[in-house]
Amino acid sequence: MWRIGFLACFSTLLIGADDALPARAVAVLQANCSGCHGESAAMSGLRLSSRDQALKGGTRGPAITPGDAKQSRLYLAVTHAAEPSMPPGKSLETGDIETIRQWIDSGARWPAAKLSSWWSFQKPKRVAVPALNVAWVRTPIDAFILAKLNEKNLNAAPEADRFTLIRRATFDLHGLPPTAEEARSFIGDSSPNAYEKLIDRLLASPRYGEKWGRHWLDLVRYGDTAGFEQDPYILEAWRYRDWVINALNSDKPYDRFVKEQIAGDELFPDDADARSGTGMYCVGPNRDMLFKVEDQNRVEVLTDYVDTTSSVFLGLTVGCARCHDHKFDPIPQRDYYRMRAIFEPAVKTRVFLEYNEARGYDLAENRREIKLRQIADEITRIQSPYRKALLDKKLASAPAKLREAFLTDGPKRTPEQVELVSGAAGRAYRIGDDDIRAALSQADTERLHAIEKRLVSMFAGYKPPPMSPGITDIGPESPHTYIAPRGNWQMRGDLVGPGFLSVLGGGDVPVEPPPDAVTTLRRKALAEWIATPDNPLTARVMVNRVWQGHFGRGLVGTPSDYGVRGEAPSHPELLDWLANEFVAQGWSLKKLHRTIMLSSVYRQSSVGGSKQDPQNLYLSHYNRRRLQSEEIRDSMLAGAGALNMKMGGIPVVPPLDDNELYGIIGDPSDAWVVTSDKTEHTRRSVYLISRRAFRSPMQEVFDSPDGNAPCPRRESSTIAPQSLTLLNGRFTIEQSKLLADALLKKPAPERIAHAWRQVLSRPPSDLETGAATDLLAAQAKITGSEPAALAELVRGLFNLNEFLYVD
Amino acid sequence: MHRTRREILLNAGRGFGAMALTSLLQGASAEHVNPLAPKPPHQAAYAKSVIYLFMHGGTSHVDTFDPKPELTRRSGQAISAEQVKGLKTSFIHDPSKAVLRGSPWKFQPYGKSGIEVSELYHNVGERIDDIAVIRSCFGDAFDHAPAIYLRNSGSQLPGRPCLGSWAIYGLGSENENLPAFVVMSDGSTKSGPQAYSAGFLPTVYQGTVFRGGANPILNLATPSGVSTEQQKQTLSFIDRLDREHLAARGEDSTLEARIASYELAYKMQSSAPEAVDITKETDATKALYGIGETRTDDFGRKCLLARRLVERGVRFIQIYAGTNTGDDWDNAHTDLIGSHNLMCGKTDKPIAALLTDLKGRGLLESTLVIWGGEFGRTPLSQGQNGRDHHPYGFSMWMAGGGVKGGQVIGSTDEFGLRAVENAFDAHDVNATILRLMGMDHLKLTHLYQGREQRLTDVHGEHEFTKKLIGS
Repeated sequence: MWRIGFLACFSTLLIGADDALPARAVAVLQANCSGCHGESAAMSGLRLSSRDQALKGGTRGPAITPGDAKQSRLYLAVTHAAEPSMPPGKSLETGDIETIRQWIDSGARWPAAKLSSWWSFQKPKRVAVPALNVAWVRTPIDAFILAKLNEKNLNAAPEADRFTLIRRATFDLHGLPPTAEEARSFIGDSSPNAYEKLIDRLLASPRYGEKWGRHWLDLVRYGDTAGFEQDPYILEAWRYRDWVINALNSDKPYDRFVKEQIAGDELFPDDADARSGTGMYCVGPNRDMLFKVEDQNRVEVLTDYVDTTSSVFLGLTVGCARCHDHKFDPIPQRDYYRMRAIFEPAVKTRVFLEYNEARGYDLAENRREIKLRQIADEITRIQSPYRKALLDKKLASAPAKLREAFLTDGPKRTPEQVELVSGAAGRAYRIGDDDIRAALSQADTERLHAIEKRLVSMFAGYKPPPMSPGITDIGPESPHTYIAPRGNWQMRGDLVGPGFLSVLGGGDVPVEPPPDAVTTLRRKALAEWIATPDNPLTARVMVNRVWQGHFGRGLVGTPSDYGVRGEAPSHPELLDWLANEFVAQGWSLKKLHRTIMLSSVYRQSSVGGSKQDPQNLYLSHYNRRRLQSEEIRDSMLAGAGALNMKMGGIPVVPPLDDNELYGIIGDPSDAWVVTSDKTEHTRRSVYLISRRAFRSPMQEVFDSPDGNAPCPRRESSTIAPQSLTLLNGRFTIEQSKLLADALLKKPAPERIAHAWRQVLSRPPSDLETGAATDLLAAQAKITGSEPAALAELVRGLFNLNEFLYVD
Repeated sequence: MHRTRREILLNAGRGFGAMALTSLLQGASAEHVNPLAPKPPHQAAYAKSVIYLFMHGGTSHVDTFDPKPELTRRSGQAISAEQVKGLKTSFIHDPSKAVLRGSPWKFQPYGKSGIEVSELYHNVGERIDDIAVIRSCFGDAFDHAPAIYLRNSGSQLPGRPCLGSWAIYGLGSENENLPAFVVMSDGSTKSGPQAYSAGFLPTVYQGTVFRGGANPILNLATPSGVSTEQQKQTLSFIDRLDREHLAARGEDSTLEARIASYELAYKMQSSAPEAVDITKETDATKALYGIGETRTDDFGRKCLLARRLVERGVRFIQIYAGTNTGDDWDNAHTDLIGSHNLMCGKTDKPIAALLTDLKGRGLLESTLVIWGGEFGRTPLSQGQNGRDHHPYGFSMWMAGGGVKGGQVIGSTDEFGLRAVENAFDAHDVNATILRLMGMDHLKLTHLYQGREQRLTDVHGEHEFTKKLIGS
């Protein structure tokens, strides 16, 4: 580790960071105490609306002893440690009590500014890049990071070696390991811009969209099914998935990316691709699945639209304001319903990707439906006489009561007869298709065959429709929006019109659209209000998400919460610089990746660490990370040489065995319809089906999100079931055997090295070759089988930490 | 990723404890860092463990634990539109046009308390003096999946943590080598695995599904075709190279934890099969649970297994009875008699045995046994021979875990249509269960989406522990 010369500290304008705890604490007081001890009321003479008033206290004495919560009346009251306990008849939540304790212990300071001047609600500042004249500083990012490291008396780690760099960069941008050849060639590239070339090559590859598309899909709670008991398919949800992957691969500017998702239909009505962006509102958990409560369903759908929009694009949790003014953030309930009014006219629709094809598809489908009805009728007419004859024959020997029950017309059956027919006794008398098939005459067999032929020709070449899910407005007029008092949707409060969050400047959306409008243009206004440099959150939120994707943690540790409850940024100036730079570079995500990845900070070794900064907030080294579930599966397929790189299309359903499918809702033949083309089973994980009501074992143990709510950051757990899955799971065994088969075809002395290159992208060391030789010998001795021994070697490699972690 | 070294090490045991890690952590105060280390309750706990018998699909309350002589008397008669106003049903097209339907089963008093139970549950009836029957449950979800989510997680929409997850989040686990929260079912349920999901809590708090057979946990067994000796060799190869890899990187708690998790996985391969091996149980015990009898064998095994898990310190066990691909309470839509004869027949004897057995072993005091489901069934007839879904008033019961038996709490109206006295919703029930386990539902919180979330959301104000424990 080497030391960078100490340079003058530059000022750290931690905007709002010092205010985080006071703001939170005062918000707790505001939400829970102000009714009796606020501006308008002072029971027992106590007001808690300023520090002076709290120190002065009421008739019982001072409410707060700064620096000592345990001596403070306020703390004793809220912990119920002394009378009077507060608030009367209830308890604060544990987290809030803890906030109060920390706040008093740290001096009980009131926030310097009002909540509306909270740092994240101010536009990113133009900040000067710290002038640090050292070689380590390759980019402005380095200057910001180094300045903070210096300030904290921390050292940066040395640059990682070339192998580590290419593996890191390839996983970060592609979610896959580099091939051994790619690694070898990068290590051997002596040109001065070898690393820049590497990053450019990776960004240009379509693998990039597949990896970063998955991050976005997590965020927008993407799934291929709707959830609940029936978990039905969201037909053509995958079109949105492909839209995201394509948008990222073509480096669609982020402001445009946002606009198309919120209001593609209103902003770009002639661009089918742009309108498909609104599919974002269709790929979430369908909140309209509750049975026979359509009015409630509508409320849930709109709630999902509002919550998802604000959390994904603005990094704000507005959900609290559905029921009451936000306790912590300056978001009144009125603002929430004003935002809801924007979505009030929105309904689901189908986007015709190519007009004539889509119309043609609809027409063909329409005719097919009519033909199918006739075919069904024909089948019934052929089968019925046989069914009756077979039943009569069986009933001849049945008990009289049962026979009578069967022979009575359905509606005329008595309850006992119903039970007889539908119960266990009756089950033996049901006539199945196979019984009938066996009894058919030659002529009828041929008639059925003829029908089968017609069916085959009707469905040969059957393809999914050229349509994409999306939303649009029911028309230029919107239903009214009323505030729901206490969140009770059955009650009607004030009528509100569409508008923007007042804390971000507010503003109304015109209620009357232009005379020629076909929609209300409310979402257009929202999209334009969000996707602009003037919005203080949009760019910041996105650059932070990208930063998190590279470093494991964002500069703001709570990537979808920029409110008072969220974490303050570790490097506020850097965050603002990145946000401004992002906008200046035309909202290009690829340029943003490049800017980040070319920095010295990104190129640091992951070896290091400091007791002073155990969480590595200040980035004195790179954060080692575990692969995500998709990366694990894809890397195993790549190692086995089985990965099918085909892109896009309907979701792939790979085979799972009964044990793995245990608990899936319904009959697996309906719920898990395995893709018939086996070559599809080894495609990249982003193309596998994501059912809401069922996650595959690999997805479940390795922390894949469940798709019920936006997932801004995945957990990275280390739990024993992961080892079981990786060690004993069917998938590992299959891929191990595949690679073992390939190894067998190589000359014996090359096998170990080849295995290493396939799985770990590098040749083995002597020590490793020795360990592998020992293992192969031991395994061969036990089983007497060379293929089995090689498969064990590969299984071992797939379980190594080196395989599972990125340095 | 950003945890202390010790925390990460202990996390390696997440899901199944941290036994193998103790050598790495000598002198460490583990309880602060292992998410599943036993944690002190908020208040004195009545129950250490919970066995929640979830009758999934909808059990008719008026045919089991809520006798309604007036309903029987007026069976076949119409009901006034006023009485069914606001009632939502699933298959009964218009409740005001449906007729009342009395129970085809007889009720009789049991035990010293003389509480009436239907003949369908006559074995459970014999244990009534240990049971507190709650006849006044209600909810507003009248379809299966939303109602199951509601009872388990407090929301009709999936995605929130279930009761079992909250319980082990709050209390941790007594056994390091078995899951803290075990789920058993008949396979396919109407809610899917989301009913026992940890929702927004960390993965470690997820319910672990026990399948049948000697290796109840998925991927627990060494793969077929790989011998134990081979497995050992491969594991030692992994361990050897992982330690080389670690040495080259200096201290890294995540990597160490991963190494340890393989040791743990290996050890679990013996502890879980031991827990589910009932061959050492006496014939008398097996007979008590109805093991060996066609109808009761499966559910009997599950109940016996639940007792064995409680003995081994497992905190929360939930058993789902009924499936939507086979034997199903919900067949009561068209076949009340058949479905309830079948499902009660499957569960009556094993449940009674569980209570008897727990009591005999002195475990009932510390084990809360809960019987319930997502809703009851209409006192109105659906078609000729059925009952529809009915969440507006239905029964559940609790025994053990400090609960005073031989009492009835709450009531429904004369027909069993609506809970009228001491009406409790899902949140009240869940708050009460947490309280019996020693937790305050207001204090058991987790910060998510900017809010301190809790199982009971903003509800649970009618928690009724005092009534249950009889103080």
